[in-house]
Amino acid sequence: MDPMKVESTHDWTERLIRDTTRPVLKTTPIYWIWLAFLVIVFGWGLYAYSLQLREGLLVTAMRDRISWGLYISAFVFFIGISHAGTLISAILRASKAKWRAPVTRMAEFITAVALITGAMFVVIDLGRPDRFFNVYVFGRWQSPIMWDVMAITTYLVASILYLYTPMIPDLALFRDRLKNKVGFFREWIYETAALDWLGTSDQKHALGRGITVLMIIIIPIAVSVHTVVSWIFGMTLRVGWNTSIFGVLFVAGAIFSGIATLVIVMAILRKAFHWEEYITELHFRYLGYLLAIFAVIMVYFNVSEFLTVGFKLEEGEEFAFRQLFLEDFAGPFWFYIVLGLVVPVLIMVFPKTRSIPGVITAAVLVDLAMFIERYFIVVTGLRVPLMPYEPADYFPTWQEWSIFAAGLAFFALMITIAVKVFPMLAVWEMVEEREDRLANHLGKELVANGSLDAAGSAHNSEPTGGVP
Amino acid sequence: MIRKGAVRGTTAVAASVIVFALLAGTAAAADTSIAVGAPDSVAVGDRVAVKAVVTSGDAPVEGAIVELTYQASFGGITRRVELDRESTDANGVALLEYEQRAADNGEMRVAYLGPDDIDVEPFTFTIGVAPGGKPQYIPEAGVDIPGLNGILVMIVIGLVWLLLAYAAIQLVLVGRRTSGPTTESYLRGEGSEAGSAWLSMILAMTVIITAVGMMFVLSRNPLNQAETGMTGGYNRTPIGYLEVEYPYLGPGLEDPSIADTEDLLGDGRLIYFEYGCSGCHGVNGAGGVVAPELAGKVGSIGGFAEDVRDGPRNMPSYEPVVLSDEDLAKIHAYLREAGDKDG
Repeated sequence: MDPMKVESTHDWTERLIRDTTRPVLKTTPIYWIWLAFLVIVFGWGLYAYSLQLREGLLVTAMRDRISWGLYISAFVFFIGISHAGTLISAILRASKAKWRAPVTRMAEFITAVALITGAMFVVIDLGRPDRFFNVYVFGRWQSPIMWDVMAITTYLVASILYLYTPMIPDLALFRDRLKNKVGFFREWIYETAALDWLGTSDQKHALGRGITVLMIIIIPIAVSVHTVVSWIFGMTLRVGWNTSIFGVLFVAGAIFSGIATLVIVMAILRKAFHWEEYITELHFRYLGYLLAIFAVIMVYFNVSEFLTVGFKLEEGEEFAFRQLFLEDFAGPFWFYIVLGLVVPVLIMVFPKTRSIPGVITAAVLVDLAMFIERYFIVVTGLRVPLMPYEPADYFPTWQEWSIFAAGLAFFALMITIAVKVFPMLAVWEMVEEREDRLANHLGKELVANGSLDAAGSAHNSEPTGGVP
Repeated sequence: MIRKGAVRGTTAVAASVIVFALLAGTAAAADTSIAVGAPDSVAVGDRVAVKAVVTSGDAPVEGAIVELTYQASFGGITRRVELDRESTDANGVALLEYEQRAADNGEMRVAYLGPDDIDVEPFTFTIGVAPGGKPQYIPEAGVDIPGLNGILVMIVIGLVWLLLAYAAIQLVLVGRRTSGPTTESYLRGEGSEAGSAWLSMILAMTVIITAVGMMFVLSRNPLNQAETGMTGGYNRTPIGYLEVEYPYLGPGLEDPSIADTEDLLGDGRLIYFEYGCSGCHGVNGAGGVVAPELAGKVGSIGGFAEDVRDGPRNMPSYEPVVLSDEDLAKIHAYLREAGDKDG
């Protein structure tokens, strides 16, 4: 690449800023229709929840034997999705992946919003939500439920900080560029949230320290969160749940579904706001590779679990295996294995399908499959009889489906609203990334021309003056 | 809760004891007596042996059945509870053993139960219970690893929150933007006026307050039910008190008038719960593990009343003293409607 022919950083940045602010400034009719649709679904769910509040959990299909259902599945699913974000963004940031900048912000938004949605489902699952605070009053650290409360609270605070901290320079950018172009409320948000950011060296250093600490600490926090979520199952003596693999299985599954959700959100925003230049096929392909790697890991964990348990086939396991592999849950289970784990790998194996539509297809399949997996883990575990009685059956009622749909709508709604307010592309990081890349290119060219020795050019942290 | 069958059994025993006492009168050998050797003081969790010697005159009585009981109070009721029952050997000695569970035994008694229908004065005594001792109902299972405790949990979580607080404080520093040159950047526009940095303060405060609150919640760690039984507290051992009949009155409504409105169905629903019907027949009469579905399945009031009064199979019988005809009619009306509603 000839650096002289590269578009100047100034022009490129100006275009990037225009493209990033476009969603905030321009609203299409499709946006309003989409928003109205989400509000209606959410409102319908609220109505269903009002019924549940009035009549109690009686309106759900949950009874004495199967006492967890769609809500807890949704809780696990959303908490899983929340790993999208932070974990992917933090790992990519910590490993200095050069392509991460355009996707990190979206990933971090997914995290914060999914976490709030997931936590909501715990409260929805309570027959007496007014007793929620008893967990703080009477909670004991010996209880896995308490571990959950601790881990999720920590994760929520950490991921909001991790979303917000790297966004400050971009908020300042919005504050400066969108002055008098947006309404009073958004102006106030930018003014407040930008924290007087002027890009002084002090501010940069403080921000850098904050980001560094957060990106490191958030990785163990995120791992702990989904491990602990798995332990509300794994700490009980129930067939199907009584396994030591649950922690890692859930964490891997969480990252797996997180990547898939990121791909889907990325694809939608890219299409909607014409960000094809920034979010390229490369991003889809790299995330697709990650998806395939985690699919293989999930296959390995599943084989490992089912083989060790099935080889010994303790009492009750036979029932669990039969219902999962052959009977009531065979359909969803094989969907999960074949379409959710095997097909995504195949999609990434063949160069022909390794395209953007291919990766998106794989992501949709993975998200569906991972939701199904959460569902059958919850329900099949409770369905295995503990005493010689007939196994119970569970199928969610319309109220449960409505509330679940409202949860999905809430998730989409929050992202939809965020798009109208916040910078969804990490502008300053994308500019830095590009400058780095150009500097590296330039350095290599100069080395090739013999005008600079390798030691001098390699990884010069300051952008060189090669860009006009 | 005592099941109806058990109550009837104890009543029968009590009745027969009275009958035997009347028949036996005072004709039996008055010189048969019981002597007891017991420790003065024991600790909770101890295995206690009480030696009882039954003699007739000077001769030991072989094969006499003796029973060791203690005075127990639970839920405002004080009754005798059997600890052990043995028969005497050739020396007239019976070794009565039990595990000390209660923090206070009250009056202990060794009584003669047979085989002869004779009237023997029971031997009463007391055993002091020393404070402390083992917790009662926590099994010995588990491995206690020193250092692996709540403090460690607090240290780990505390460290994590310290780092989060550090990151939040960096935001406060960003907000201060005091010194240092403004670096050139394509990203910065011209002339932004100074805003305010209060948001970073609020964020940092929130993080710190949440962290402190969490430590507080962790450090409180209220006792669970098992541990409140450390000394004579909550006792999970099911105890069947002798010689007493418990009429089942239902959990009772806090305010009975709420089930006494004009609305027959609403009342019926409450009463259905009050008398514990839902325990077996499921909420809304949908059926449960041990009892059939009732919603929409109940026939005429006559047949329904017969079943409720009699209690077919394992169902307890609800006699008119317990469940009035009016309440029964309300339940009946409710169950018929419940079927229609659920379709």
